[in-house]
Amino acid sequence: MAVLLALVVAVMLVGGGIFTLLAAVGVVRLPDVYTRMHAASKAGTVGSGLMLIAAGLHAFDFAILARAFAGFVFFILTAPVAAHLVAKAAHHAGYRLSRHATCDEMRDHTKK
Amino acid sequence: MAAIVTGLIFAIVWAAVTGSLSPLNLVLGFLLGLFALWIIRRDFAGTRTVVRPWKLLSLLILFVKELALSAWRVAVLVASPKMDLKPGIFAFPLKVDRDIEITLLANMITLTPGTLSVDVSDDRRFLYVHALDCSDPTAVRRDIADGFERKILEALR
Amino acid sequence: MTADPLAQTIVLAACAIALFLMCVAFFLTVWRVVNGPTLPDRIVALDMLVAIAIGFLAVIAIKTGFNLYIDIAISLGLVGFLATVALARFVLTQGMPQDDRDPLAAAPGRHGRPPETRRGRPQRRRGRAR
Repeated sequence: MAVLLALVVAVMLVGGGIFTLLAAVGVVRLPDVYTRMHAASKAGTVGSGLMLIAAGLHAFDFAILARAFAGFVFFILTAPVAAHLVAKAAHHAGYRLSRHATCDEMRDHTKK
Repeated sequence: MAAIVTGLIFAIVWAAVTGSLSPLNLVLGFLLGLFALWIIRRDFAGTRTVVRPWKLLSLLILFVKELALSAWRVAVLVASPKMDLKPGIFAFPLKVDRDIEITLLANMITLTPGTLSVDVSDDRRFLYVHALDCSDPTAVRRDIADGFERKILEALR
Repeated sequence: MTADPLAQTIVLAACAIALFLMCVAFFLTVWRVVNGPTLPDRIVALDMLVAIAIGFLAVIAIKTGFNLYIDIAISLGLVGFLATVALARFVLTQGMPQDDRDPLAAAPGRHGRPPETRRGRPQRRRGRAR
């Protein structure tokens, strides 16, 4: 039983670490602010959330697990808000999409 | 009535955050929840929201599934040696029109595979969405309209 | 917390692997913060740094068995969110800083910065060092 719990915790820890690492790689590799935001807000949130829940599971205590879970829900609620605000601010300030971009209907709409 | 149900939910959240399920702590959470609702009472005066719990639950399950999928998709994209990107911002015509629905939809779009909501137009008719793969915007638009938007309308109307 | 030696070994090994992965992620993100051609890039990278710090705290909570770290991680998430919102408001009110003008013009180059400014900035920096 203890070994099973340890295995679950280990898998979640390593999984969260891999997700966070890939999010960081994405922040470095992707071409512009908007695409980088995809990596940071999705993979980054899921990665750190997984690790937090792993810590809650490892404590083997309902109160701590509940708190870790509440933290995870909180990160899921705030990450899109932060990403949305940064994206909106960047677009309003005039940062353009990378040269791979196929369309920018927002710029077309605001120009009119 | 709605305030009492919301207060009960707040009490449960309070118990989870403080980590004790004792009755006294639940009562304290309930009172704090009511007090918090009383502070913000002006902001939701006059907005009646019908909530259908089972539809909301199905929306939540869809959301968790899509969240896992989206993290996985971003991870695979980043890890692949040659990134095939066609990013772009497209306008998504909104069927939902109330604040809470737009907020919910924008948040869910952000955490789903390959899409990120950037802005709402001033007249609230369009949501501007940044997509990692914007080669076929009509298909993405249809996915969002048939998936999340329909579920949100079912759950909250 | 159980005293099963096998379980403990598994968890500690996982902690070591996770710490290594997070260290690599941390340095990659710091590279983006330092090198990021525009201000929003740096904001996104700083947001990512907060997520990485939360991961570190979770691993340390497991390693030391000191569960208060989870609460610290949650409060760090709250503060990080507020910081990101404040920085985004700053970009929204101040507009684009002079250094970031038209990053698209330099897209054929590798660093996404117009050649004039790229040439200009290191000179200024060198001047300050002397």
